[in-house]
Amino acid sequence: MARAMALSLLLLVACFNLASAADSLTVVRADRKVDLLTQVVRVSTAWKVQNNGAEPVREVKLALTSEQAERVAFMEVVIKETKGKGKNAAVGLLLPVIRYSQEGSVIVYTLALPREIKEGEIATFESYVALTHQLKPFPEEITQSDSQLVKYHDTAYILSPYPVKVQTTMFKLSSSRLESFTKVNPTKVADTEVRYGPYEDVEALERKPITLHFENNQPFAVVEELVREIEISHWGNVYITENYNKLAHQGARLKGGFSRFEYQARPGASGVSAFRHLLAKLPVHANSVYYRDEIGNISTSHLRSDFRRTELELEPRYPLFGGWKVPFTLGYSVPLQDLVFKAADGSRYLNISFGSPFGNIVVDKLILKVVLPEGSYDVSATVPFPEGSFEQRQEKKFSYLDTVGRTVHVIVKKNSVMEHQFKNVLVHYRFNPLGMLVEPLMLVLAFFAFFASCIAYTHFDFTLSKSTSAYLAQVQRDQVIDVISKLQKVLGIRQTAEERLEASLKDVLRTGDITACKADRKNADAVWKSTSKDLKALLDTLQSTMKTVPGKPSTTKPSVIVTKVETLLLKEKEMVEKLQQKQTFIVDAYERKLSGKEIDARIAPVQEKLESLRQEVSNLRSSLED
Amino acid sequence: MAVGLGEIGIPIYSPVSESLYPLLAVLLLTIGLLLTASFFIYEVTSTKLSRSLVHEFATGGLASVFLGFGTLFLLLWTGVYV
Repeated sequence: MARAMALSLLLLVACFNLASAADSLTVVRADRKVDLLTQVVRVSTAWKVQNNGAEPVREVKLALTSEQAERVAFMEVVIKETKGKGKNAAVGLLLPVIRYSQEGSVIVYTLALPREIKEGEIATFESYVALTHQLKPFPEEITQSDSQLVKYHDTAYILSPYPVKVQTTMFKLSSSRLESFTKVNPTKVADTEVRYGPYEDVEALERKPITLHFENNQPFAVVEELVREIEISHWGNVYITENYNKLAHQGARLKGGFSRFEYQARPGASGVSAFRHLLAKLPVHANSVYYRDEIGNISTSHLRSDFRRTELELEPRYPLFGGWKVPFTLGYSVPLQDLVFKAADGSRYLNISFGSPFGNIVVDKLILKVVLPEGSYDVSATVPFPEGSFEQRQEKKFSYLDTVGRTVHVIVKKNSVMEHQFKNVLVHYRFNPLGMLVEPLMLVLAFFAFFASCIAYTHFDFTLSKSTSAYLAQVQRDQVIDVISKLQKVLGIRQTAEERLEASLKDVLRTGDITACKADRKNADAVWKSTSKDLKALLDTLQSTMKTVPGKPSTTKPSVIVTKVETLLLKEKEMVEKLQQKQTFIVDAYERKLSGKEIDARIAPVQEKLESLRQEVSNLRSSLED
Repeated sequence: MAVGLGEIGIPIYSPVSESLYPLLAVLLLTIGLLLTASFFIYEVTSTKLSRSLVHEFATGGLASVFLGFGTLFLLLWTGVYV
């Protein structure tokens, strides 16, 4: 900030010093070409300037009338520098506008020169100015079959803050039909060109008003306000939404009714100034293009794309005649990698063309809104226009999955033309890549909140009255179910031990390996012993649960369960005993080396009993499940 | 294109290739929904006394992570760039 202050102070001092010196410049020769082919007036002038003073000059001035200055869309001054030798030695250097001031009805722009002009030296530079709303339709109202005539006011002499020695002006018209023009000798008309000059020794800021009246059937498409919203998503996309708030034909208004029949039948002769298509040059990889207005989607459009460009030709709902308006919205997506880049210092920047993608339209007020991802900071913009010709500000916008809102950098410029398509705005910002995880984590959190509420719902007791029998029965039921499920688990453990022993017994019958069988028996015994205590405890709990039934006699069901469980446990115990018995028999038989038949005969009754018990136990267990 | 006022930048790409969005959306959402199913099965089959809070939070948390990221990729797949 302090540096900027010091710099401007320095400039101020410099400008006081040069105030007298600047006027020592003289224009040796100036050639102006005014392009009146479209609705935009494009003036390019080649200047040859000589320094007649003693002191070197560092600035050069350019003048526009205040009416013109209000409608300047684009201004560029290029100085031809010769660097080295050879064919491409001439390099165009852009001169920055450092300030402008009003002097009567004239606005004088001061531009900084890259290199001072010394005494007697000649410098050449070219100025290029694009102005909007300079062509006035005359007559203001025409019928459908008329063509459009426009009037253009200018001066025959080039408006220059310096005296001009020799100058010429050439106006290029869009048609050879020239109704009238002001004569300032020498003036020549040749086909679509009107030449003024050469004039000699014209004083500084001297004017000679002229008027040209000619035919111009170009579409006078003017957008009152265009809002271009660019939304960056680091997940791989940039949304561009262009809100054309009233695209109007601001040429001669249509007089009388509109005849669709005539318009269709005689396309070359009827409604020549009206337009039905608009052509937009979209970025190369533009996709998901849509085009709609308040009523809905408008599908009369053509999208052509190849590896170099994507072009959209769209037709508004109706052909636009003078005075007619149509509001619509155009939207498309561009891959992230085409527009967003990482700078060497780690910051990121968006590089996007400022102007509307439509070629021949004039935008009175263009609002560029760059919506940066949530969590962006250090936002700044590099705008390719001189200070004072645009405004910028920042605001917040809430979009998908936002908490604190996205930073929006807004650039507002009045008067925008096609040239701005080639002028890129850079919006710099910093962004922590971890910030991308905020959105998925919010989704995760939302889902987690749902699960947590489910958990809370099942864990909390929402019953108001805790003494009703229904409630108590419910509690008891829960306890019983809990005890039984624990019981089942223990029984399960016992059962696996039993099955293992059974399997090892089978092995014994096949291989005769008693030692392994003995070890298995030991293991099984240990399991049974330890779990039998648990079973006892569980049975006690079950019995006590049943006892706590309040005064009111409960249904017969609980007592049934207790008896069932008791029988189950008894049978289970018996089964285990039988199995132990069977094992003892087999081991014994093997030790006594009895024959297979004898063994079978001896274990047969035990086996039978065991099978029946096993059946009973499993029946009881499954009945408990209910 | 990348050159602006003397700067040369490296294009920024999405951290996950865009061609993977459909696959990730389907995969993550499937796993997430299966975990949700197991969560609710556990909730209804266990009683108040036998329920383990750790088990519940583990399944619920894991399910929400999968569902969250799955939803994100579903949104991206359908063109809602968050």
